[in-house]
Amino acid sequence: MPIIETRDLRKVFRTVKRTPGAAGALKTLFTREYVERVAVEDVTMALDVGELVGYIGPNGAGKSTTIKMLTGILVPTSGEIRVAGLVPYAERKKNARNIGVVFGQRSQLYWDLPLVESFELLRAIYGIPRERYRANLSAFTELLEMGDFLRTPVRQLSLGQRMRGDFAAAMLHDPRIVYLDEPTIGLDVVAKEAIRTFVARVNAERGTTFILTTHDLADVERLCRRIVLIDKGRLIYDGTIERIKEQYGTHRTLVVRLCDTYPQIEIDDATLEERTGDLVRLRFDRKAISADQLIRRVTERYCVSDVSIEEPELESIIRRIYVEGYTAPGTSLAPPAPVAAP
Amino acid sequence: MSALEPYLEFARKAFAREATYRFEVFTSIGSLLLRVYVLRSLWTALYAQNAAPASIPLHAMITYATVALLMSLVLEVDGTRGIRERVREGTIATDFMKPIVLPLYFFSDGFGQTLLHALTIVPALALALLFVHVDVPSLAALAAFALSFALGYFVNFFLNFLMNVVAFWTLETFAVQLTIRWASDLLSGQIVPLDFFPGILGRIVENLPFAAIYSTPLRIYIGELPPSAWPAAMAAQAGWLVLFATAAAFVWHAAERRVVVQGG
Repeated sequence: MPIIETRDLRKVFRTVKRTPGAAGALKTLFTREYVERVAVEDVTMALDVGELVGYIGPNGAGKSTTIKMLTGILVPTSGEIRVAGLVPYAERKKNARNIGVVFGQRSQLYWDLPLVESFELLRAIYGIPRERYRANLSAFTELLEMGDFLRTPVRQLSLGQRMRGDFAAAMLHDPRIVYLDEPTIGLDVVAKEAIRTFVARVNAERGTTFILTTHDLADVERLCRRIVLIDKGRLIYDGTIERIKEQYGTHRTLVVRLCDTYPQIEIDDATLEERTGDLVRLRFDRKAISADQLIRRVTERYCVSDVSIEEPELESIIRRIYVEGYTAPGTSLAPPAPVAAP
Repeated sequence: MSALEPYLEFARKAFAREATYRFEVFTSIGSLLLRVYVLRSLWTALYAQNAAPASIPLHAMITYATVALLMSLVLEVDGTRGIRERVREGTIATDFMKPIVLPLYFFSDGFGQTLLHALTIVPALALALLFVHVDVPSLAALAAFALSFALGYFVNFFLNFLMNVVAFWTLETFAVQLTIRWASDLLSGQIVPLDFFPGILGRIVENLPFAAIYSTPLRIYIGELPPSAWPAAMAAQAGWLVLFATAAAFVWHAAERRVVVQGG
């Protein structure tokens, strides 16, 4: 049974329409015209216990609106939601006990107090039994290497240290579901890796379900098997990373280092992408020609000292989808809906 | 007990947090002493010119001004300004994701801060007594004062709460704050006793909610209100308290609805 389920989830925001100019301002004071903006439209998805799903989309796509509805602080305009058996907005406080939230951009730690004091406060808030609290705190302190700064006031922590503290804070009460919103923003590579390792371990060892919202697709590639893509409020893809790569990433790049200079490079079934000095990048469709064949064609005609093949990165695929829109090649990509859409 | 535990912890943390600003605490005592001294000189000079109402003798006036200043140490702590700050920074969203009753959180946070400032009353009073004489009323009057002060504390809390919750609609509440703060300072009897307002104006001011904050407990303290008048005075305070608490509950409910519908 899925732990998170939404069906035809929809959220429409109503804002006051402002007419420009002084007369317009006066007009808005007395008569109110509203503009409706659809933030989330017909989002249907289901997550199983222990899944680690990347929820991605461009800015303003409706990601945080969805997360807010899942956490219960936003009431959907229509549609259904269930998170661990609860309707979040109807039972917000009960739902709060099941979830943990990490925001990369805002901390939930007490700014002026030592880190560990924030943890103690959370122990009181969630009523975590002392033993459980001690066990979790020591486990997280070790995993996140927080021993050195547990007693340091939060305002004196580096961003990386603070984020580690925020992760521990979100998970002390053993939430079944954790929402991560841009958790690695602004972190250096070492700190990023520490966070990723932590998430992967908690996910594997405790079976915690994660929804990861981020623009850093390296996070997603490293952690998630499944991604859900949203654009203009609608789900446009829900499936594995491999599948989207297969469908979108049929193009590979052959990077060739030449040992001679040639005035012109020309190979059938491949397009010259870039040429800098003796380095040549050839883009090819692996449906039209195999890498093996292409290498043979190149080496037959030119003197080559080195070759390598670049796989498409998730990032470049997603970028293409943002720009061109998602068109499912061949069959429909949306997973079978639980109920047939009318 | 366990249901209250988070809130006790909030108060404890607020107390600890406030205590980290030791310098501020010391300077607030220093500034208070200066104000006590200035007020004593001012009232002495004014009384020498016969500029005061007959109902309050000079020693009672100086007592009034000094006790009012000590009360302000507690009453000027606005725990609910956290609401405004958190709404503006957007962190209020994460607060809603916690299994807590938010208004109670803001109250206990404010209470923890208040408690630390209340502790500074003791040294402040001890030092103040070096250069002013403060009348000490009967034990019964002291007890009535304490109760009346407590009622005033809650009236003040809910008034601040209401002011800060406005942030859910306007984000910037500075003008509202300033106006109400100014009105409250003047009309609550913190600066001058309400007896100074002439005729009909005095009667209006005495019946405004602000009087419940400073004026009522202070009039009990200096003996202007006889014991027979205490129940009615405190009933009026309690009335304002209930009214503001109801309004606060109502406005909070609307604010919450606004967040869940409009997304804060």
